[in-house]
Amino acid sequence: MTAAIYSARADLSPLVFEGPGPGGQLTVSHEVENYPGLEQPLSGMELMDRFRKQAERFGTRFDLGVVEHVSKGNDIFKVHAGNKIVETRALIIATGAEARHLPIPSEKKFYGKGVSGCATCDGFFYKDKKVIVVGGGNAAMQDAVFLTRFASKVTVVHRREYLRADPIEVQKAKRNSKIEWMIPWIVEEILGNDLVTGARLKNTESGKTFQLECEGIFVAIGHEPKTEVFKDVVETDEKGFILVRPGCTRTSTDGVFACGDVCDREYKQAVVAAGQGCMAAMEVERYLGIKE
Amino acid sequence: MSKVVEITDQTFEEEVLKSELPTEVDFWAPWCGPCIMVSPIYDKLSEEYENFKFCKINVDENPETATKYQVMSIPMQMFFADGEKIDELLGAVPEQMIRSKVQEVIQRFPTDEKGRLKVILSSWVEHNKQDSEKLRKWIQKAQELKNDTIYNSLLKAKSEMEKANEKVSQLLREL
Repeated sequence: MTAAIYSARADLSPLVFEGPGPGGQLTVSHEVENYPGLEQPLSGMELMDRFRKQAERFGTRFDLGVVEHVSKGNDIFKVHAGNKIVETRALIIATGAEARHLPIPSEKKFYGKGVSGCATCDGFFYKDKKVIVVGGGNAAMQDAVFLTRFASKVTVVHRREYLRADPIEVQKAKRNSKIEWMIPWIVEEILGNDLVTGARLKNTESGKTFQLECEGIFVAIGHEPKTEVFKDVVETDEKGFILVRPGCTRTSTDGVFACGDVCDREYKQAVVAAGQGCMAAMEVERYLGIKE
Repeated sequence: MSKVVEITDQTFEEEVLKSELPTEVDFWAPWCGPCIMVSPIYDKLSEEYENFKFCKINVDENPETATKYQVMSIPMQMFFADGEKIDELLGAVPEQMIRSKVQEVIQRFPTDEKGRLKVILSSWVEHNKQDSEKLRKWIQKAQELKNDTIYNSLLKAKSEMEKANEKVSQLLREL
């Protein structure tokens, strides 16, 4: 979005393909507290909406299509999205990352039937019910605290003793009397017929198993970069993150730039992604200027 | 202009179950980011398809319908035709996926009179076949106990049903 704002303001007439999850990860974030300029917390959705409107104001075009393939000609890239092919001289990849899934088949089976990846969206359906949150990062802590508004009990299940989340988020969760902790445990199997009725947990140290009754399982175990469709055009590392040159957003291919969580192994923050988006737009402007 | 119809627990039956057209219902809520982000897709599609109806229901204000259809996760799109739920799409799915689902449903549930009659009659024949399968053990018994008046009537009824089925199948071939 920031790349769109900057490049639209620079009259580069950007077209944004919004892809499968318009607005990205932020749209499922209940509260954003750490984005500079937000005196009061704002929902991720509202923040995203502001970015979008700001980009629109400067003439950014949006397309709901999903990019399926990118091919490279002489200095021209062809972006294939559905039955559309768009030609461009510069491409900014800002596809971000998508939620990681539990490595068990029962997660897929119960998706939407008790398993959810979005506490903000689905917490409402678990009034006075018991739920599990899987994960130990900021998202997991925030989800757990948020879910106590609805659920009668929230159990955080995390595979390691160490919680990756910021201390401030951990404290908020630890202070909440509705939250219980199963650490270091993993979800080995999700139980139920049509709907989730519980989970079989396994202690990662002792190997002991335990059945926990619950009706909802919220998965917040991190994200993976969405780079599959760009693998022919740019180099990625073994985890799929796009490789950019140090200190800038240039990729292994001239004319292709990457910013945000799609190339960020370290920080994964909205403000970092926004900063890189700005860099990408300015680098595109320079790149096109030199070409002319 | 979007032609998406905002419905409620009260109007669900009238707008969806009694709808003449196959219908999609978008279960959403104002606090669901992904729901808000994908809603323009439905606005856009609603302007394109004549023989298909798009509805949306706010689950926060209308929990009854969501509970009835066991919605536990949104955005959730359910598809209805002839008063029944026939399919669903879970999550913020891309436009192309919704489009192909809508087209598939339109093909299965045509809205021109003959097409529609054909679908209803085919389903009637199919159900008849399944029901007579279920009746088989009773029919066997009836053939052994022909003197029993009830079983005797059952045999006659079965023969009438078969004739009706044949006639409908004939009609289907002509359509």
